[in-house]
Amino acid sequence: MAINVDIVYKTVLLILNKEQRGYMTPDEFNKIGTQVQLEIFNNYFDELNQQLRISDNDSEYGDRLKNIDEDISVFKTIGSATPIAANSNTFNLPTTSGVAATTQNFTGVANQISYPFTTITSSQLNSSVITVTINGVSTAAFTISGLNLVLDAVPAAGVGIVVTSTPEDFYMLGTVIYQDTQEAERIQRNELLYINSSPLTRPTTTFPLYLYENNQVTLYPTTIVNSVTVSYLRKPLDIIWNFTIPTGQNYYQYNPTNSVNFELGKKEQTNVILKVLLYAGVVVKDPTIIQVAASQIQQEQNNSKS
Amino acid sequence: MSRPDGGLITENNLQYYAGAQIIYTSVNLTTNYTFTFNTQLSLGSSTSWNPADPDYGLNNFLIYTSTNGISNWIPYVAVFTLTTNLNNSDSVIALAAQPLGIYVKVQLKADAVANNYGGYEYTSLNDVVYNFTVGYVGNQKIISDVKRTDIIFHAKRGLQEFSFDTLRSVKAQELSVPPSLSITLPQDYVNYVKMSWIDALGVKHTIYPTQLTSSPSASPVQDRAGNIIQDNFSENIEGTSQTNSRWQGANTRLITGAFNQQDLNDGLFMDWWGENWGYNGYYGQRYGLDPVTTQTNGWFNIDERQGTINFSSDLTGKLVMIEYISDGLAYDLDTKIPKMAEQALYLYIAHAILATRSNVNEYVVNRFKKEKSAALRNAKIRLSNVKLDEIVQVMRGKSKWIKS
Repeated sequence: MAINVDIVYKTVLLILNKEQRGYMTPDEFNKIGTQVQLEIFNNYFDELNQQLRISDNDSEYGDRLKNIDEDISVFKTIGSATPIAANSNTFNLPTTSGVAATTQNFTGVANQISYPFTTITSSQLNSSVITVTINGVSTAAFTISGLNLVLDAVPAAGVGIVVTSTPEDFYMLGTVIYQDTQEAERIQRNELLYINSSPLTRPTTTFPLYLYENNQVTLYPTTIVNSVTVSYLRKPLDIIWNFTIPTGQNYYQYNPTNSVNFELGKKEQTNVILKVLLYAGVVVKDPTIIQVAASQIQQEQNNSKS
Repeated sequence: MSRPDGGLITENNLQYYAGAQIIYTSVNLTTNYTFTFNTQLSLGSSTSWNPADPDYGLNNFLIYTSTNGISNWIPYVAVFTLTTNLNNSDSVIALAAQPLGIYVKVQLKADAVANNYGGYEYTSLNDVVYNFTVGYVGNQKIISDVKRTDIIFHAKRGLQEFSFDTLRSVKAQELSVPPSLSITLPQDYVNYVKMSWIDALGVKHTIYPTQLTSSPSASPVQDRAGNIIQDNFSENIEGTSQTNSRWQGANTRLITGAFNQQDLNDGLFMDWWGENWGYNGYYGQRYGLDPVTTQTNGWFNIDERQGTINFSSDLTGKLVMIEYISDGLAYDLDTKIPKMAEQALYLYIAHAILATRSNVNEYVVNRFKKEKSAALRNAKIRLSNVKLDEIVQVMRGKSKWIKS
């Protein structure tokens, strides 16, 4: 379902190089590709809102609501909310969905506490939850220093050290669910005062309520202290066009290992290429590309929304 | 008899009629047993599994075990825990590990069994809220979005309104009238339907509300000059209502005219003719009686300030029945809607939501208003329970002369 990152990159390069307009490095492409993917992803919600306001149809492939939902569905996920303390009705939201976790294995070396990362990148280290197990046992006795794992204590020689980097990808809260069956309703704090005061509307475990503040949800009635799950959208993964440089050569060779494709649906391929080209025009300072890409994107948008 | 097969009925015959469910232990050392009653199993407290616990009596069930599932049921008195299944409200009881072949039975107590009888006639308020959300709210519907709190509020208000004049939710208390002639209003009282006293045959005789007197909301104490006296907290000193005292001490025969020999002896009236026929045997003494008060069943009035029902003195010691309505929300058991009025409640909620929402076309509000009224009328007709055979039976009395 995903769009192959190599196809996009090579198509962009092909168009850019057609008239020797310039070149885009893999690093530039990775950053622009991630930006484009997020831009398209964000746009889905406005489109969804727009479509909800007009009458719908029930056709197999022309139902715009269904199509947008299909685009978003890749990113829908569900996770447990954890109470901030025992018997608390305030819960932390899940930070990672567990998608695209990257692991790196080390072997303990005598008298060595620092281990350099080679698989996990610095951007992954900055935007991920890092977990470490030593000999299969989870530990928090470590720090990340630059591109190094620094253990608090010297591990036994030969012991297996596994580092897992899981992206922090919580994007948008959907539904808060109590006991897998009851949907909690979101309210504002001022509403809570009135709703709690009215004997007819006071929250119950059958019809719970929640406040969403400071990245935490607080459920009512206050007897709800566990069994809370949330559905949410995760952020699309940062795209990576990974490469190797063949020995004795001076060009980038695509390496599918550790490359990350665009997660958007295949039908977005044209859109992705055009938007990457739009940014590429800025990078290579060619207004013609910007104009052509922009007008093409505008035309596509007009077609899809009219 | 049919078994639950995915329809709305979820209890088997044993669960419904006997309030029992028996589970066979097919795996050695089983600890968790899931029971699927409509009635939620409940413990008085977390320690009330113990028969010696003070809250043991609040448990709504008992557990038994047996080796053959037919007889020799032995009460299970060891420690156990009760939890509710997260997905379907089933009750899960964790016992000590039971060996293969043991039958475990949960027997609901009599109250719990009785409360479940006839339950299919009703829909729960929770189900109404869920059903309404599914059927009436959403994209491409007239109500595209609504807060669930609003639905709950209007559903409960609807249930209250229906309780007053549509639902068959009349409650009744049987009480004896004490010497004080005053009875506290029932805890969930909203309005009375009928007051009756019960004779030796168990037949009801209607007690009428009286316009002859009323209970004052305040009876402050006055000095000789008529000034109201205050206490050291600067508040009026409250005295005993003389109106109530006089009404309670009144000889009601002086109002009804139903004099007796005692009244004659007391000189309350004169037996001019010495006759012993006519109304209560005293001929000619009833001229000018008001037919409204000429009855011997007694009267009552309601003291709204004190929250009491006050009866007339001729009802002292009598057995009375207070029939009243509540609002359907006082107890969980009350919070249910007859299926015959379910549609009326959905439309009540829909209309209430649309009528209180801005930017809704008035013709839409009016349409729902009409639909609501029509559905409510249907519900009233259905619930009034008029049966042809019963009407025929009543009409058989048409040939009987009623003498006045």
